[in-house]
Amino acid sequence: MQALAPRDRTNWAGRILFLLPVSLFFFFFFVYPFFFTVFTSFTSWRGIGGMKFNGLANYKKLIMDATFRKALGNNIIWALCQGFIQVPLACLVAIILVRKPKGWKFLRTVYYLPNVISTVALAMVWVAIYNVNGPLNAILGTLFGMESRNWLGNPDTALFAVIFQTVIYIGYFMIVLLASAMNISQSLYEAAQIDGASTLQQEFSITLPMLRGTLVTTMTLAMAYGMRHFESTFLMTGGGPAYATTTMGIDLYLKMDALRYSEASTAGVFLILLGTVVITVLRKLFGKSDPMSEMAQ
Amino acid sequence: MKRTSKALVVLLAMLSLTFSLFAQAQGETAPQKEIELRWASIWVGNDSKAPSVEALVKEYNAANAGKIKVVIEPQPDYNAYEQKVRTSLAANQAPADIFTIKFNPTTETFYQSKLLMDFAKVMDPQWKATFDAGSIAQSTVDGVLKSLPMETAILPLWYNMDAFRSVGVTSIPTTMKDLTAAFDKLKAAGIAPSSQMTGDTNAWTSMIWFSHFAVSLGGVNVWDKSFTDPAFVEAAKLVKMFITDYSTSDAVGLGAGGSGGHFLAGRTAVFSNGPWYAGRADLAATPFFNSIKIAGLPPVGPTSDFMISRLQANICAASSKDPAREAATLDFLKYLTSAKSIARIAESSGAMFAIKTDYLPTIGLQKQFYDVANGAKTTSFDLEAALGAEVTLEFAQQLGALALGRISAEEFCALVDRKIER
Repeated sequence: MQALAPRDRTNWAGRILFLLPVSLFFFFFFVYPFFFTVFTSFTSWRGIGGMKFNGLANYKKLIMDATFRKALGNNIIWALCQGFIQVPLACLVAIILVRKPKGWKFLRTVYYLPNVISTVALAMVWVAIYNVNGPLNAILGTLFGMESRNWLGNPDTALFAVIFQTVIYIGYFMIVLLASAMNISQSLYEAAQIDGASTLQQEFSITLPMLRGTLVTTMTLAMAYGMRHFESTFLMTGGGPAYATTTMGIDLYLKMDALRYSEASTAGVFLILLGTVVITVLRKLFGKSDPMSEMAQ
Repeated sequence: MKRTSKALVVLLAMLSLTFSLFAQAQGETAPQKEIELRWASIWVGNDSKAPSVEALVKEYNAANAGKIKVVIEPQPDYNAYEQKVRTSLAANQAPADIFTIKFNPTTETFYQSKLLMDFAKVMDPQWKATFDAGSIAQSTVDGVLKSLPMETAILPLWYNMDAFRSVGVTSIPTTMKDLTAAFDKLKAAGIAPSSQMTGDTNAWTSMIWFSHFAVSLGGVNVWDKSFTDPAFVEAAKLVKMFITDYSTSDAVGLGAGGSGGHFLAGRTAVFSNGPWYAGRADLAATPFFNSIKIAGLPPVGPTSDFMISRLQANICAASSKDPAREAATLDFLKYLTSAKSIARIAESSGAMFAIKTDYLPTIGLQKQFYDVANGAKTTSFDLEAALGAEVTLEFAQQLGALALGRISAEEFCALVDRKIER
């Protein structure tokens, strides 16, 4: 065993010093709460008073809970819509804007604008839009003679109404994909043009393959958002009517609201595990064909 | 050697005498440290009680300058405030020295916390006698009184008599038949008869209607029965009828803001809420403000002449090992709950309290509330106050399904019943 040279020892001390603040934050704000949550998920605890170990009872109860199963189903719909509708829409807009058509900077700002507006404000605007006497019903009535609907009050339409108002805000993913698309070398397109490739062929043969890595990342992020969705639905419907729009996040929150802390912890652990599984599956499915990782190899 | 020992003993005696005198002198002359009490108050901002509460605190601070200072920590968002109380207590910290809770079977759990002062141990008989005995009894759990009943409420119906008169109805209907007949006339005139809602976590206004029906059908102790009892099934059928036939088309999914908004805008003729709503500026600005009449619902069952009531806000205090701090807290709470202070808050806000005062409003909605409360032979809790937050949430969620005809009244009641802990 060779002793460390003084310079190496200084390096180690430096590394530890640099890592210490963030490690402490990570420990106190993630590791400790995570293990506390896991621990309390095996107890009967109402947030106040003593904890009583009850084994897997909370997990059994969670699996049997019809509301939680409904929430899980809704989260899967959310994840699929965000991953397979929101991201492709963002990609389409990014592909159009990267060719810098007239007014592209203005359009880029317009698409991104909702991302800087508070979720609360947007949710309230959409509650007004979806109101029985709101503008959406007025427009649909005028154009198609449709009868007014209570979009958020009907279990058949409520879920898709709340998903729609989130999915159309593509700004964040559009910016990420646009930045990536702008880094694609122009020489590739020039070569394709010389070979007589049409614009559509160029997009399918150059842009999309070159964006694949970013697409995998954005889809992973979008689906992860979908799995832990909470804010806008909570603000617009509170998870109703009849739990039609509830999500695991809302279910967890309402469990805490009813002082069922240990059951909320169980839902939290389930949510973390599910999120990990989704991300792992996505990386397995798309990660191998990621050109960026192939290039890196 | 002896000499030295003697000198040492004398020196030590002198030193201890000097120190003890010095310490005594310090005790006599050192200024007493001011005790600061933090009050996480919900009676701030637009709340009708805010101005009088603020004035009372200012006066108390002026009278106790240098000794006790009460600092109001504004909590204008009630839901966020409730969350703060829950999480603070779960984290083994008192949310503030003084704070309020909505006392119900869910928040009863807070009584398990050692952080809360047990008033049963510290209340003198004179102070206790100033409170309504029934409210004190309702707030006591197994002999422990960790919250003082402060604001109470009755939850009657608000009738816009201008709307009723516009369709030829000049007095509040006293039978269900008369009520539905009047509602039919209102509908024909293009006015939605009632402000119903199924949104938020408690379907507030419809929950009040349901509570009136259930108590009328099942008696004042109806909440002790199984939720599958015929009284609840029948009450569910009635509420469904009023949501589908006699409310606005957006009632399913609508929140309390929307429900109240319809009434304020004159789109609905009947609303349901507590006395705190009477002090709102936007209500006073409505053209029909002076024609609002407060009353119960016509009886639908054997029980009549009752009123739905609740403990709206109970006040809690953090326990303290410091006797001076505990004394300061109690001193302020005695001042706040004194008949004089309560009368001032009641007069300016229209709110009702569990503390006995000589105050009797003489005009307006406040007077009507007091008259209705005093005129009722008996009272019974509303659903939320009787059965807690989780049951009420299930009630609200399933009420939408009931109104849309997705489930029957029997299924609705069975679903709510499953959430009741027995």
